[in-house]
Amino acid sequence: MAELQEFWRWTEYTWHHPEMDWRKGKRLAAGIDVGSVSSQALILVDGEIYAFSNLRTGSNSPDSAHKAVNGAMKDTGMELSNLKYTVGTGYGRVNIPFANRAITEIACHARGANFMAGPKIRTVLDMGGQDCKAIHCDERGKVSNFLMNDKCAAGTGRGMEVMADLLSIPIKDIGELSYQVDQEPPPVSSTCVVFAKSEALGLMRSGWSKNMVLAAYCSAMAHRVSLLLGRIGVEDQFFITGGIAKNPGIVKRLEKELGIESVKTKYDSQIAGALGAALFADTLLQKGTQ
Amino acid sequence: MIEQFKEWYINRHAYAKQWKERTGGKVIGTFCTYVPEEILVAANMLPARILGSHEPQDVTEPHIFGMFCPFCRDSLAQGLKGRFNYLDGVVLAHSCIHFRQTFNSWRIHLPVEFAYYIPMPNTAQTPHAPAYHRAEVDKFKKAIEEYAGRPIAEQDLDRGIEILNRNRRLLRKAYEHRKLDNPPLTGEEAMYMAVTSQFIDKEEHSNLLEAVLKELPQRKLPRDAGIRLMAVGSENDDAEFFKMVENVGGTVVIDEQCAGSRYFWNESVPNGDRLAAIANRYLDRPACPVKDYPAHSRFQHVLNLAKDYRAQGAIIMQEKFCDPHEGDNPRLKKYLEENGIPTLSLEFDSTNPLGPFRIRVEAFLETIRGEELF
Repeated sequence: MAELQEFWRWTEYTWHHPEMDWRKGKRLAAGIDVGSVSSQALILVDGEIYAFSNLRTGSNSPDSAHKAVNGAMKDTGMELSNLKYTVGTGYGRVNIPFANRAITEIACHARGANFMAGPKIRTVLDMGGQDCKAIHCDERGKVSNFLMNDKCAAGTGRGMEVMADLLSIPIKDIGELSYQVDQEPPPVSSTCVVFAKSEALGLMRSGWSKNMVLAAYCSAMAHRVSLLLGRIGVEDQFFITGGIAKNPGIVKRLEKELGIESVKTKYDSQIAGALGAALFADTLLQKGTQ
Repeated sequence: MIEQFKEWYINRHAYAKQWKERTGGKVIGTFCTYVPEEILVAANMLPARILGSHEPQDVTEPHIFGMFCPFCRDSLAQGLKGRFNYLDGVVLAHSCIHFRQTFNSWRIHLPVEFAYYIPMPNTAQTPHAPAYHRAEVDKFKKAIEEYAGRPIAEQDLDRGIEILNRNRRLLRKAYEHRKLDNPPLTGEEAMYMAVTSQFIDKEEHSNLLEAVLKELPQRKLPRDAGIRLMAVGSENDDAEFFKMVENVGGTVVIDEQCAGSRYFWNESVPNGDRLAAIANRYLDRPACPVKDYPAHSRFQHVLNLAKDYRAQGAIIMQEKFCDPHEGDNPRLKKYLEENGIPTLSLEFDSTNPLGPFRIRVEAFLETIRGEELF
């Protein structure tokens, strides 16, 4: 029997600065973002990004946090005891044994977005694994207002993974393929993961191509997120964080619907939460907070 | 001593059964908070508000529409599960259509000796309401007299009014302590205190309140009050939620809801015509949205409370499918925010996802708390 391909699986990776020597640094601050689907650890040395990891969340938060931080420290010679201050964030934030403090991912994403895309960012959309947050912030990345999606995980990363599996299309290709249609189809009527799955099957049976289904699903998700943003308002400049920011099938449709372009940067949008957490850790370290 | 309120809250059914055994009196279940309890107390009956249990249930599906509020379903579920099997009667003074359905279903499926519906006007503000409602309170009194088999004398009514008023006064005194910088009682404790007055014998409840009031000035809680919050909504006795909020850096210092302040805020003002005094008390009390039109008196009341108790933020606790509150909340939110009170809106079911609520509450507190992270 052929090995089952996991179409939902996105690439896990770790990175550290090839030239920087952390041993010369004074402030070693870390942010750990244990989300519902992915976990990141990011280490700042004197306020500069030194290393990070982006991995899949396991079945318990402490293990996922350890895995993430060990991933970031891989091949650097750094050990947990070298970290002077660690902030935990994400759904698992209160279950990170080595964190000095927990801060919500809402605050962390805004702070991370501010670092990544600059002080002009006023609206941050975090499209995560199982929820979605629309955030307003000031020039320092301090949250002034926020709104989260309702209880269900419709229109989030997990839903996209389910769709990738159902259609046997690698998740990273979804965005691109969703534009390979002759005409943009109407969105699926429901973005509830389970209902959308049934609806997708129905559409395939009635002769729709996979790409059309993807287009319909991406536009439904974009529409749903635009409604969330509409409730809080989109102020320029606009930035998207989280895994879904990597999916142009949603980002471009969302930008079109909102009539505003999101700021693009060289950074991986998935590390925004861990980066924000690390920046808070660095600030708290400088303030001498225990 | 203050812990007694929580014990009463948890063991409310055992309390009612013991009360019945001890006094031989009748226990009357009340729906919502507009039933003129003075009449029941005057007849030596125990009014016991019917509340839900915040447990999942699957017994109300055939009886109440799925899009009626979880609280009315949870309440009926308690009846269907036999938890209120000690009730001798049930009374509803009209509030919303959802509770009317609960009441009617209860009446059909859980027969009691005495079931009475008071058609209290929702347009409580019309000049015709006092005369109309006085007549309805009078009819209710006569029905109770007939059921009890003895008349309710004027001095009985005076006693009923005074027992209720004393309890209301004491609860307001206890709430005064919540104005302090570091309140000597948490929002969770205050919730138990207020909501138990709705089903514990009023005199017994008042006696405990008096004793607690003597202790409160010396009471120091080993916790930092953190951010001062207001809870606004319908019937919200979700203890787990208050506990969570007060574990992540907030303290609920005031509420505007019917499990709390709306229930006891004003008194019956004796004016010679006792029935009018009682009727007017319920027409004049801080209204829930169902009785708050055409003028919206509620918004100003909510803001006054927020200011008096120095709330730094308000959590708007929307009972899912509660149309009257859903109608109020967008404008109430705007009104509070325009007046400098930030708000967090959450939608409540009979059981609630504490994890997702927690992040919203924590992030809300972070936005209020300010500068320490920058």
